[in-house]
Amino acid sequence: MRQIESYIVAINRALVAGLLAVTFAMVFVNVIGRYGFGSSFAWVEEAARHLMILAAFSGAGLALREGRLVAIGTLPDLLPPRLALILRWAVVVVMFLFMALVCWLGIQFVQFGWNKETMATGISRGIPYLAIPVGCALFLIQLCFFARRFVAQDFEFDAGHMADTDGQ
Amino acid sequence: MAKTLILLFFGCLILSVPVAFTMGLAGLVAIYVDGSLNPLIAAQRMFAGIDSFPLMAVPFFILTSELMTACGLTTALLRFANALVGHLRGGLGHVNILVSIMFAGISGSALADAAGPSAIVMRMMREAGYEKNYAGALSAATATIGPIIPPSILAVIFAISTKGVTVAGLFLAGIVPGLLLGASLAVANHIVSTRNGYRGRDTRASFSELRSAGFAALPALVMPGIILGGILFGIFTPTEAGAVASAYALFLGAVLRAFTLRGLYDAFARAAIVTSSVFLIIAMASIFAWLLTYLQIPQALAQTITQMSDNKLVILFILAGFALVCGLFIDTLPALIVLTPILGPIAYSAGIDPLQFGMMLVLNLTIGMVTPPIGPVLFVIATVGQLRIEALSRAIIPLLLAELIVLLLVITIPGISTFVPNFFGFAN
Repeated sequence: MRQIESYIVAINRALVAGLLAVTFAMVFVNVIGRYGFGSSFAWVEEAARHLMILAAFSGAGLALREGRLVAIGTLPDLLPPRLALILRWAVVVVMFLFMALVCWLGIQFVQFGWNKETMATGISRGIPYLAIPVGCALFLIQLCFFARRFVAQDFEFDAGHMADTDGQ
Repeated sequence: MAKTLILLFFGCLILSVPVAFTMGLAGLVAIYVDGSLNPLIAAQRMFAGIDSFPLMAVPFFILTSELMTACGLTTALLRFANALVGHLRGGLGHVNILVSIMFAGISGSALADAAGPSAIVMRMMREAGYEKNYAGALSAATATIGPIIPPSILAVIFAISTKGVTVAGLFLAGIVPGLLLGASLAVANHIVSTRNGYRGRDTRASFSELRSAGFAALPALVMPGIILGGILFGIFTPTEAGAVASAYALFLGAVLRAFTLRGLYDAFARAAIVTSSVFLIIAMASIFAWLLTYLQIPQALAQTITQMSDNKLVILFILAGFALVCGLFIDTLPALIVLTPILGPIAYSAGIDPLQFGMMLVLNLTIGMVTPPIGPVLFVIATVGQLRIEALSRAIIPLLLAELIVLLLVITIPGISTFVPNFFGFAN
């Protein structure tokens, strides 16, 4: 089970990092192209938007794991530990139901946009809309794996990376 | 419907549901309870809320500051700041302020500053004998300079949701308020240091030390010039400027041999995940903000406020007070997305320059990042420095006063925000 979980996290990370890298390369090459070769592509702006939207929704589960989805912790801090635990499980359930609902709405939204075309690339609008159900589904999977640790507030935040310079 | 929306939103917030979800959840449930709207509108608003090319500047500026830190340039900036002002009374405090101003030119977020250079100077201050809560409070306060001095993620988000305001214009508008923020904190630091006997380093940096530190920091110091210069001369759009800045950071890293393949991959992954948490809030808050507009709450609020006064300054004060209170309880980013369409029209119909209003709102909500009870920057500093949030909150009060004075100046003197952009031809 742990093995599967770490594979999924690795794939998810590679997906969002790759999407950002591709978007970056496209936009940068477009600037170079405009000045270096006098030509640029109109579809880059649209493609960049759609790729980053996919990255945004797909990264939600990872943001949860790293404790980047900020919440106000005053109430659970005030409650006795047992009640705080129950409250956090309730939050997990609320998050799950909400994202499942958004996922379902997202699928309908994809169907709604399927027969329309986008402005620049002329692909079906349903394709970029897929970002919502795909991202939500990924989030739901991550949440299932991570629920226990979320309740224990055991986030995997690599605080070390910026503090590394401390010793210098 | 309005009641369901507001009650659910605050209810979920108190119950510690992540902020991003509270807004989407409140919006979606309100739509279902009301029954007259198609729920698909929620998905549509969510998508449309982040479907903007100017907004794509945000991931690139996040990526740039990740890459610059990985290059070790943050440390170079720190050394240079230390050589410049380290010998003054309360020297390390001034270093803290100056390095935040410099770092603001490569980063657009307060949290990046708080977790990066500010946290480093905080440790240095503690080792040098500064009281630990003051060191933490100053580090939190200086982090607020990041979103004011360009580039700024908050400025991008305000500009894309306001007609007639460009990202470039608002970037320029932030220069003077950002420097004022630094100056006011320097005065506060001087007073505190005099009272507590905090000294600077023993000797002034020699010219050769200054020169070599300056030279090492130069690659980072020219970054704001590349970004702003490129945008102002129409060479590239703000989003492209972000990509160019990232490419520049990559180039530096290659020249300095600062990156491993693994480190590079991590920088991209981290930037993407941070972007995701930012965009998720924008997407969800878009549902919420759209519903408020649909329910004509801005109009109702506008009527109430214009009945109170028709004086520009009084109206701006009321709006600022409203935003300040909201900033206490709602996180900066969602507050910005929700308040921009609500308060903006009131300000513009009273004849307030959108650039001034934008600066007021961004500065106002940024100050909210270091005010208890919900101050994300305070939480970061408390975690990194292992401080108690209550003690940190007390220690930051004099610094907060210094920042509020700057806010007061931005409200009363429009020129602070409008002079630089007007000079470069950005006017309304």
